[in-house]
Amino acid sequence: MSAPMEVVVCADSAEQLWNCAVFELHSGTNLLSYRGGNTSARSLTVLNGEYILGAQLGKNVINVWEIQRKDQLQQKIVCPGIVTCLAASPNGLFLLAGIAEAIYVWEVSTGNLLAILSRHYQDLTCLGFTDDSSHFISGGKDNLALVWNLASVVQLDSSRAPEPRHVWTQHSLPITDIHCGLMGPQARVATASLDQTVKLWEISSGEMLLSVLFDVGVMSVTLDPCEYFLFCGGSDGSIFQVSLCSTNLSRDKTFQSDSEGNQVFKGHRTLVTCLSVSMDGTLLLSGSHDETARLWDIQSKQSIRSINHKGPVTNAFIIPAPANVLLPDSHPAVPLPRFSRHLNPSEQSDGPESGGVCLRLGASVQGPEETYLQKAEKLHSLMCAVTDKSVFGDGENTKVRVSELEEEVKTLKKINKDLYDFSTQLLTKPS
Amino acid sequence: MTKKRKRQDDFQKVKLKVGKRKPKADNATDVNFRTKGINLTEQLKTGTGPTTHRHLNIKDLLSQLHHYSGGVKQGALVGLRELLSLHPHLLDQHLSSVLSEVAAVFTDKDSTVRAAAVRLLRFLAQCVPSERVAPFFPLLSAHLTCAMTHIVEGIQEDALRVLDVLLEHYPALLSARCTVLLRNFLELISQRRLSRAGKGVEERKPGSWTLSTAPGRTVTAQQWRLTVLTRLGCFLQAVVEERPAEERGTFGDFLDGEEKGRGCVTPLELTWEEHAFRKGGVQVYENSGAQPAVPSSFRLRPVTEPGAGVTEGLVSVETVRGFAATLVPLLLEVWVEASTSEQGKTDSAHLLAPESMSLMYQVLTILQLLRRLTPERHQKDDLDAWFRSSYLNDFKHHFMKNFPYGLLEVAKHKKKGELKRTKQQAAAGGAGSVEPLALNVTLCQVMVSLSSRPQGGQDAEWLGPIRGFATETLSSGVRLSSRHLAALLEVVWRLVLTHRSRAVTEELLQAAQVQYQQRNLTLPVRMLLLRFFSRLYLQEHQAQPHIARSKVLSRWLAALPLQLAQLGSRNPHLSAQLLQTVQAAAAWKNRDLLHSLQTHACRLYDPQEGSVVLLPADSQQRLVELVYFLPLLPPELLSCLSRCCTAGRVSTSLAASLVRLVHIRSSLCSWSAGRQEVAVSDVDYFSFLFSTLTGESSCSHGNVCALLGLPVMLAWFSSEKLAALQHAGEDMVLPPSPLSPLSIYPTQQEQFNHHWLIVEEVCHCLETLGSRSQCFDVLQNAICKNLTGLQVVPDSTAAALLRVVSRLLDLSLLPNEILLRFLSDCCLSLLSLLEQEQGIPNNAEKSEAVRDVCLAALSGVPRLLRLVLQSLRVSDLCEEEFSQLAQTLSYLLRQSQLRNHMLANAALLQHIIQDLTRYCQGEAQEQWLTDLLYCYSVTLSTHRGNLGLRDIY
Repeated sequence: MSAPMEVVVCADSAEQLWNCAVFELHSGTNLLSYRGGNTSARSLTVLNGEYILGAQLGKNVINVWEIQRKDQLQQKIVCPGIVTCLAASPNGLFLLAGIAEAIYVWEVSTGNLLAILSRHYQDLTCLGFTDDSSHFISGGKDNLALVWNLASVVQLDSSRAPEPRHVWTQHSLPITDIHCGLMGPQARVATASLDQTVKLWEISSGEMLLSVLFDVGVMSVTLDPCEYFLFCGGSDGSIFQVSLCSTNLSRDKTFQSDSEGNQVFKGHRTLVTCLSVSMDGTLLLSGSHDETARLWDIQSKQSIRSINHKGPVTNAFIIPAPANVLLPDSHPAVPLPRFSRHLNPSEQSDGPESGGVCLRLGASVQGPEETYLQKAEKLHSLMCAVTDKSVFGDGENTKVRVSELEEEVKTLKKINKDLYDFSTQLLTKPS
Repeated sequence: MTKKRKRQDDFQKVKLKVGKRKPKADNATDVNFRTKGINLTEQLKTGTGPTTHRHLNIKDLLSQLHHYSGGVKQGALVGLRELLSLHPHLLDQHLSSVLSEVAAVFTDKDSTVRAAAVRLLRFLAQCVPSERVAPFFPLLSAHLTCAMTHIVEGIQEDALRVLDVLLEHYPALLSARCTVLLRNFLELISQRRLSRAGKGVEERKPGSWTLSTAPGRTVTAQQWRLTVLTRLGCFLQAVVEERPAEERGTFGDFLDGEEKGRGCVTPLELTWEEHAFRKGGVQVYENSGAQPAVPSSFRLRPVTEPGAGVTEGLVSVETVRGFAATLVPLLLEVWVEASTSEQGKTDSAHLLAPESMSLMYQVLTILQLLRRLTPERHQKDDLDAWFRSSYLNDFKHHFMKNFPYGLLEVAKHKKKGELKRTKQQAAAGGAGSVEPLALNVTLCQVMVSLSSRPQGGQDAEWLGPIRGFATETLSSGVRLSSRHLAALLEVVWRLVLTHRSRAVTEELLQAAQVQYQQRNLTLPVRMLLLRFFSRLYLQEHQAQPHIARSKVLSRWLAALPLQLAQLGSRNPHLSAQLLQTVQAAAAWKNRDLLHSLQTHACRLYDPQEGSVVLLPADSQQRLVELVYFLPLLPPELLSCLSRCCTAGRVSTSLAASLVRLVHIRSSLCSWSAGRQEVAVSDVDYFSFLFSTLTGESSCSHGNVCALLGLPVMLAWFSSEKLAALQHAGEDMVLPPSPLSPLSIYPTQQEQFNHHWLIVEEVCHCLETLGSRSQCFDVLQNAICKNLTGLQVVPDSTAAALLRVVSRLLDLSLLPNEILLRFLSDCCLSLLSLLEQEQGIPNNAEKSEAVRDVCLAALSGVPRLLRLVLQSLRVSDLCEEEFSQLAQTLSYLLRQSQLRNHMLANAALLQHIIQDLTRYCQGEAQEQWLTDLLYCYSVTLSTHRGNLGLRDIY
């Protein structure tokens, strides 16, 4: 059997068999499972393809496993509060955790706590990164979805607290899920809410593009990689597929299933907590509180496999198979440091155990750059200098050349005079 | 010879004799005829066109305008007005000539002519819309400019009247050519000071203007300035209002500079267009697409559209600044002269005569408008900073010296001269009398705009009197007009942001709160105050800690739910605004608000007169969503909510989402498996579901509690409705009979549908509760305790019970005897109801649902069919009921899903049919009996046939 391209990672809230497990996408075989505790919703994440992190349900602990060593718990990160959601940046450099109303930002390489963002008024429910790790979106029970620029959050600027780039306030009940599309800062973001709507936003402008109203509260949302379809998991167990290429032009619309793309997947009995689409856009994974995770063929809308769990499924997603997942002998490239619990970078760096140096940008310390106009002017003067040089050459050459030219002028004058004399003679000569 | 003779012939001598008549000459005209005139009236009219009462047509009148005599010109203008008002169609034909001639007499030296011209212009402006005047406007404004800069003062004065007319009717057109006009205004009240020392042009500074006085005028210099400044104010107002790009809410400058800090993006207005395939063809690019063709920006007439009236002169900060640099010193001079003229009269400098007061008011208004001239926000900040740097000291010195200005009490016995003056003044300026409040408020606005936020500490000292004034005015309890209030609130907003101190914030907000608490405010004022507070909360709450901690603000928030409840359905608009704030604050977990909301929840959600049933649909939705944020859902509230759901005054989908929200708040559903404070206890939740399920009915829940091992709670659902139903008149309900053991109360079709959809939702909630057997036990107990004793049941309730039992029942669960008996009664009663109601046409949907649910229950619940059959005792029936029974039975026999159950009860069935045939003996066999026997034989024979086949093999 060739190595799998994509794997399914699932977790449920019962801790009978395992905390979370990795399945092969197409055959459904259980590749690995990780024991110890259980994981709360939206708080299972794979860090850098080397670690699996999951927040313990109801405790202030994040469980960490090395991805190739099944069963054994590798480490526990103790946090200041119960973690409600967790996200690792796709480039593996930062780790975000939603703890009560605040977002904690850690640097993975040092374990330093870089920032605590408390702009939400109530508990956070979900966090999501853009694929280039430049932005992240946080959603909370206070109906707000905030878009943060990671660079500005991490920036060392004590004078003012970091501000979100956009504040999306259009939802009227708590946000349940966030999915961020591809394309980095130009991505589109889908947010699902208990107010029975799913809204599609644009990060670059912060505008709302589309709002779809359903009959039931929406608990999970995802987009396929091409962003042709929006999949929304309802609280009654149905999964709604919304076509984004339809010719309906209004910005607000109500979901109605029809023949052209807007369809309902029926199979789950209760609320669908998580959704994920495979890389090629043909398979949809859904996890539900009815203790199953199902795999659907999107084209034919059939459930092709059901993975039974012992408790409500809290996390289920499809990821490209990490390199280490099937190599029991491999090791993570970087050992995970101890994650600090306090926001005091100065003390951290003083400690003897931290050998590294924390590098963080200050707020634009270097002077303002030259404007393009100035640059162009400079370039122009440079070019002019070059032409001057090539035409006129150095000082000595110039002198020689000047004398040459003067001589030539003299001869020309002489010729001219001769010509004049000759012609006057010719004209004044009596005929 | 011949010649001679001929000549003689020509000249024959006529001999006249005395006494004889003179012979008639050859060329004499014969006058022996009579004539009559021919009148062609139509032709006459068309020839000359309509005329005035002086029989002058429009051409005559227009040509008379060139007459040297003033009287004729005036007559012509009056005539034109008369003619055009009688025949408006003439205006369309002659608009260009009329306008150009009228404009030409703006500068006439006779004042009566000018007055008539203004009157005519006013009439024209009323008739002709702006877009039709646009092509002639350059001409008009050229003449206006000419008149404004005329050397004769009377013409200057009348030019302002012309300007008034144009401002009133064509503000957009006028503001498009503001550059020239603004210069004219300056020249009206001032003159360029030529430097005496240097004769050269280069030494004249453009900025050096001084106020001019013209001793020859009929009015005083102050009055003259007042008239000019009033017009200038109006004109600037028009310019500001015609600015296309800027969006302005009711509050105008309330937010200036506030959103800028957040990296706000200018919202892009998306227009969604239908993309028509195969219509446009392929676009071919010039230069193979390397250089996209730029759509030409050339416009035929850029000034015609009022929106596109781009004021070239005033778009950039620099031009505004340049204009302001000229104007502001002049205004300061005007101010100083106005204030010094007062000082001679009275000893207290802050008391002003009405005249100087209105002058000062105009000065401040113009300053305020100058600030708003720049279109964009960051430019506005630039401008403010510039004002601050160049004029702050001047302003402080002059304006703030005697700050709270008052009106000088005029002596009661007016002298004649004074009377005359006031008359003149009233004629001169529109804003003849300005109240001191307006002056003070405008002064506050101007000064506050100069304060800068980073240096709030420095400004605090000179802002002190302003703060004092604002506080005093607001808290004095005087009812303010909405215009003054808006301006004052803007001042307060700005002060709060500038000061950044908690004490000041509290003081100011307290003052505003006093205004808010007044009774009987008019709607715009109330709305203004409401918006002020809600925007203060929503926008500044996060970034400004001193606002976030403000006690007044949180008190205000806490009072909102009560206001909402008291408001009822009286003003949905206001309620919507209140709800918006309440919802945001609830979502943001404002403790005071949530507490107050909790207190008043029962009033808000009252099923009879709560806001939730009175307000329009979108407000209802907000209220329902608000349920999610309530910290606690006590039993009384749940009872209200349940009755709201079933009463049908909220829409079905909203009721369903309400059920879902309560479900989410219960401990039995945890969508985010974190710590979620549980708002509903399990017992209450079950009671909520059950009472919603049964519709109007209710139950006590001791048994539920006992079963769940929870503390026993008392009955909390009032059962008065169902109790009332038990005693209802016999005409409303169907009486019980052997065929329908329960009296069924038939509900309306809509009510049934509404209830039915909610039942589906409740069933879904019950299904997802986890342990199904426990859930069923609870339900079974609840039904047994509360419902089995009833005699009268609404059909929706009966159907709902059958539905929920058949949905929840599992093979492993066994319902007890009491429940089964009650269900069989329900089922039988419903079936007989169906038979009776068959004729009614518009009940199709309802009877379909009832039929389905009966069949599902009969096939799904074990032993139910047997009980139904057992309860059919033919001996008890009267004769009319035989046919009904037979029809019901044959209907049941026809259903394929019941066939196996029927076969299991074949003996019972046989017994009933035998009885039936026995009782009907003697009579002719009726159709129904034949049908029944046929159905019976078909059902059982196939079975026997199968048996027979099985026996064979």
